[in-house]
Amino acid sequence: MILPEPLILFIVLAPGLVAAIAGCFQRFIGDKVAMIITTATVGTAGVLSLFQLFGYAFGGHHGDGHHHFQHVIHLARWIDVGQFQANWAIRVDAMSIVMMAVITSVSGLVHLYSWGYMSDDPHRARFFAYLSLFTFAMLMLVTGDNLIQIFFGWEGVGLASYLLIGFWFHKDSANSASIKAFVTNRVGDFGLALGIMAVFFVFGTVELEPMLEAIKENTFEHVAPIMAFAEGVGPREAAIEFLGMRLYALEVIGFLLFIGAMGKSAQFFLHVWLPDAMEGPTPVSALIHAATMVTAGVYLVCLLSPVYEFAPVASGFIAFIGAITALYAATVGMAQNDIKRVIAYSTCSQLGYMFFAAGIGAYQAAMFHLFTHAFFKALLFLGAGSVIHGMHHEQDMRKMGGVAPYMKITYAAMLIGTIAIIGLGVPHTQFGFAGFFSKDAIIETAFAAGIKGVSFAQMAFWFGIIAALLTSFYSWRLIYMTFHGPMAEADHHDDHHEEDEHAGHAADGHHDHGGKPHESPIVMLVPLIVLSIGAVFAGFFFYDSFVGHHQADFWSGAIYAASDNTVLADKYDHHHGGINPGWVFYAPLVVTIIGFLIATFTYLFNRGLGARIAAKGGPLHSMFANKWYFDELYQATFVNGTKKLGDFFWKVGDKKIIDGLGPDGLSGLARWGAARLSAMHTGYLYHYAFVILGAAAVFGAVILINVTGAN
Amino acid sequence: MGEFALLSIIIFFPALGALLLLALRKFVVSDAEGVESEARIAFMTGLFVSAATFFLSLIALAYFQPAQEGFQLVEDFAWFGGQADDAGNIVGGIRYKLGLDGMSLLLVLLTTFLTPLCFLASWGSIKHRVTEYVAAFLFLETLMLGVFCALDMMLFYVFFEAGLIPMFIIIGIWGGAERVYASFKFFLYTLLGSLFMLLAVIAMYLQAGTSDIVELQTVIPQIFAVEDGKFGVQHLLWLAFFASFAVKLPMWPVHTWLPDAHVQAPTAGSVILAGVLLKMGGYGFLRFSLPMFPEASLYFQPMVFAMSVIAIVYASLVAFRQTDMKKLIAYSSVAHMGFVTLGIFSFTETGIQGAIFQMLSHGVISGALFLVVGVIYDRMHTREIAFYGGLVTKMPVYAAVFMLFTMANVGLPGTSGFIGEILTMVGSFQASSWAAAGAALGVIFSAVYMLTLYRRTVFGVMTNEKLDGIKDLTRTEAIVFAPLIIATIVLGVFPALIFDITETSVAPILAAFSGLIG
Repeated sequence: MILPEPLILFIVLAPGLVAAIAGCFQRFIGDKVAMIITTATVGTAGVLSLFQLFGYAFGGHHGDGHHHFQHVIHLARWIDVGQFQANWAIRVDAMSIVMMAVITSVSGLVHLYSWGYMSDDPHRARFFAYLSLFTFAMLMLVTGDNLIQIFFGWEGVGLASYLLIGFWFHKDSANSASIKAFVTNRVGDFGLALGIMAVFFVFGTVELEPMLEAIKENTFEHVAPIMAFAEGVGPREAAIEFLGMRLYALEVIGFLLFIGAMGKSAQFFLHVWLPDAMEGPTPVSALIHAATMVTAGVYLVCLLSPVYEFAPVASGFIAFIGAITALYAATVGMAQNDIKRVIAYSTCSQLGYMFFAAGIGAYQAAMFHLFTHAFFKALLFLGAGSVIHGMHHEQDMRKMGGVAPYMKITYAAMLIGTIAIIGLGVPHTQFGFAGFFSKDAIIETAFAAGIKGVSFAQMAFWFGIIAALLTSFYSWRLIYMTFHGPMAEADHHDDHHEEDEHAGHAADGHHDHGGKPHESPIVMLVPLIVLSIGAVFAGFFFYDSFVGHHQADFWSGAIYAASDNTVLADKYDHHHGGINPGWVFYAPLVVTIIGFLIATFTYLFNRGLGARIAAKGGPLHSMFANKWYFDELYQATFVNGTKKLGDFFWKVGDKKIIDGLGPDGLSGLARWGAARLSAMHTGYLYHYAFVILGAAAVFGAVILINVTGAN
Repeated sequence: MGEFALLSIIIFFPALGALLLLALRKFVVSDAEGVESEARIAFMTGLFVSAATFFLSLIALAYFQPAQEGFQLVEDFAWFGGQADDAGNIVGGIRYKLGLDGMSLLLVLLTTFLTPLCFLASWGSIKHRVTEYVAAFLFLETLMLGVFCALDMMLFYVFFEAGLIPMFIIIGIWGGAERVYASFKFFLYTLLGSLFMLLAVIAMYLQAGTSDIVELQTVIPQIFAVEDGKFGVQHLLWLAFFASFAVKLPMWPVHTWLPDAHVQAPTAGSVILAGVLLKMGGYGFLRFSLPMFPEASLYFQPMVFAMSVIAIVYASLVAFRQTDMKKLIAYSSVAHMGFVTLGIFSFTETGIQGAIFQMLSHGVISGALFLVVGVIYDRMHTREIAFYGGLVTKMPVYAAVFMLFTMANVGLPGTSGFIGEILTMVGSFQASSWAAAGAALGVIFSAVYMLTLYRRTVFGVMTNEKLDGIKDLTRTEAIVFAPLIIATIVLGVFPALIFDITETSVAPILAAFSGLIG
């Protein structure tokens, strides 16, 4: 069912080890060795993790179905102060098995892909070291058995993301983007850190098992003497004092931790860093900013399902933010022309789906979409990278077009990715691409939860439906603009903006700049093919395990549903024990086809119509194209506000008030002293100081002798 | 009684070395090429003496029993005053008493660990009056070690105040252009703070008849007991000590001497200032304020929390706007010391353990950051951030080292910076969620100013042609950074090494509060 301990240790720790070797000793081992050891290690870990996932899902029952099935490997002591215990550990349960498979398999493929994509970059060893470092941090995140190790991984992936977004450090835009990503994530971490503190305050521990058990068993009044609540009251009613208010403890914790999740998973308000993160090399976008890191927030919420099951307000907030993000990002995605930014907003939107699923209590569906999304979104990004590579680092879709004949495999892979993300499939059957199974599961659960009256579930359903239409539209728009129609003007390299250049390009001056688009090398195509298989079959294979009839056995207590949460069973129609009306199952398909038709009409049959609509503009288009002006708003408020406040504290607070009234206010004295000192600073100062010391000592001694004599 | 006076040897070994160096300088050739050989001999001596001191303090570590409560390696001799008891031994009065608990042991180790690195780091950059420079640092080391080892209040006071003098001299002689203003500000601030403390010390001695810190910790809370929570003498004494420690730490709003002192001090001076001298304030709170004035400490908790949170937010924002690298890091120090006071005054085990850890960690990280600045200052003689940019292309190893300490200063988990921050915040949350939330804002701002600094100096394209010939780390510089890197990561991954040692010294402090907080 699960792998033997040494293999699990290998999966989690070996990427960290090779990252350290490739990073610290790159000068001695050279690029090739660094690339070989990192790729081989992570690739092996990927194979092992996938093997484990299949073995776990199809290898029989786990535990008794009531207790959380998990295996914890203790590695070492970490923080051990009183009750505050956080040790290095690897937790293997359904949640981490799924995540390990996603992380290492996508990461292994991205490592391989980077052999081609980064082939002319002078800093390849550093790049591969960062990739492996990321993989290690992400694995530590998903296998932690306490919130502090999760925080370690959380910030570790943030570091790797920062380093990789800013990988081409000579680019100003890349530097800005990397700082923006790190700082925005830190805003989220502010909430996460406070949430962890609140957890310790309430539960007296930061370890997951005792904390979550206390909620499930409703025993946490024993560990939290600070709140005496009446007997027979559930965990929902436990209250704490927070910022002067008396609030429900689990709501506070749930809300604070979700702020962390919002930052990492680029949810509305804290999403601004993700599109800019596309400054990083494309393999990075595929691994970190699509398949794995940005899903950490979803993972966290699902991992802490017991908290959210008893925090209806916080859950409602999650559903609300998730639904808004799903729709918001889709609207912006329609109006972008940079191929990577379209996919970035698409990621943002899909993460919104995952969150509203978690917010309405369908954690399994959220995890399922996380799982399938990883494959098809990594596929789309790597496909886009293949196009960018083939087009000599052109990213503007307006300058592409008609490349399908030159890049047949890439084109096929992108088509598969697109069909997977729009979720094409036949309702009530097992025929469909990965997205069909997971996205429709989310939409169906949302409707069922809406019937049951779960907060924001109805809104989530409708937003999800509209976003599905937009998803279909912008995904096909991407395909048509990139692969179909006539080639754009041949001189597209001459006027491409500076930010499209990168180090490898600059270093490799004799690279064939002109010429036609070319298909990418085999090392880049193999990952596309493997991910295509995932994008087609991941949903079909795992539907029953994740959200279908075997879900209780599959999750084995790793995800908790309160007794009144039956949303997974409700999502079926009346014939299958659910409560959904029949049309709900066809709604996603219908809107997907509508989106497809509109895109086909505007971007394939009437090529240029889309561009004309964009040129005409109108307020709605400008709003979408300018991402609803979030960057401008944040620049005007937070960024400038921080600068002004900093200047004020410095120039008024420190200089005028504190120094003005303090030391400089005694300027007469100071000047007198300074004059003395400068007169003496030829070396006599030294003696002078000893005179002071001597005098002080004598003086002190006299006083003390008198004092003690008096006694 | 210490069997072989190990602590006295540790404390006075550097001073002895300094005296020998000063006495024997005449015998070193003093002709034209003699200046260079004098410098070499002085640095060699300094390095040897401080390395030997570090080795001696490792012996103390080996002798130390972490599980044993109370002070160890104690040396106790009557000094002034006191009365003879029946057996003829002098009791009470002012004593020469030394001893270590876990907390002071670690601060001793921090001091002896950083001092040799300072000599290595100054080797190329200090060129005049080298013998005096080395001697001043060795004297300073003796005084700092004395502060952490003293178990007599008067003895502590002497070391505590005398420590000012060598630092004053180091800034005043080997400092930058405005060294006189800076050293004077430094002296004025800290001396004024200390005068109040001296008054309190005398008052306490008069009442208690002893200045033995261990005895005072039990006697003083009884003598100056607080009745019905009324403001009384204990509160005044607390304030007097607070004045001194708050300046030393420094806390907002008495922090403005620190940026000036740092900017003007030579690199090694900044390392010691940030690395060790600031810690005397935190150490003072834990040795005096909390155990001796528990009710008053509790009474002033909201004030200290407010000052700490303001320090964190305010100093971080000011740091963000600095154009001078050293000033930026100095303000960052103010912010990080805010976590120390926050943790100490949470009166919880997590908070206080975290505060001690934060002191040690900050000693290593801020010391390293000042060295990082020193490396390029030595090459270019400017600390203006705008002067630099694109250093990574010419100095990749330097860039990696700088990145590591940037992340440590930002409190990235896995580095020592994280442990102290999270524990002090967790501790303060128990007392006040407001304080914890305010402090957590610092987590955001530290990322803002450190990453901006890094980006402007290291990343980007090198446009300043004066930087063309800039060289990467020398072998000596790499040797200086190596132990600091190891310490930052080892403490970040295995902090239990520290907590196992400090645990028994925190327990009695908490015991004083067990009856006071519910």
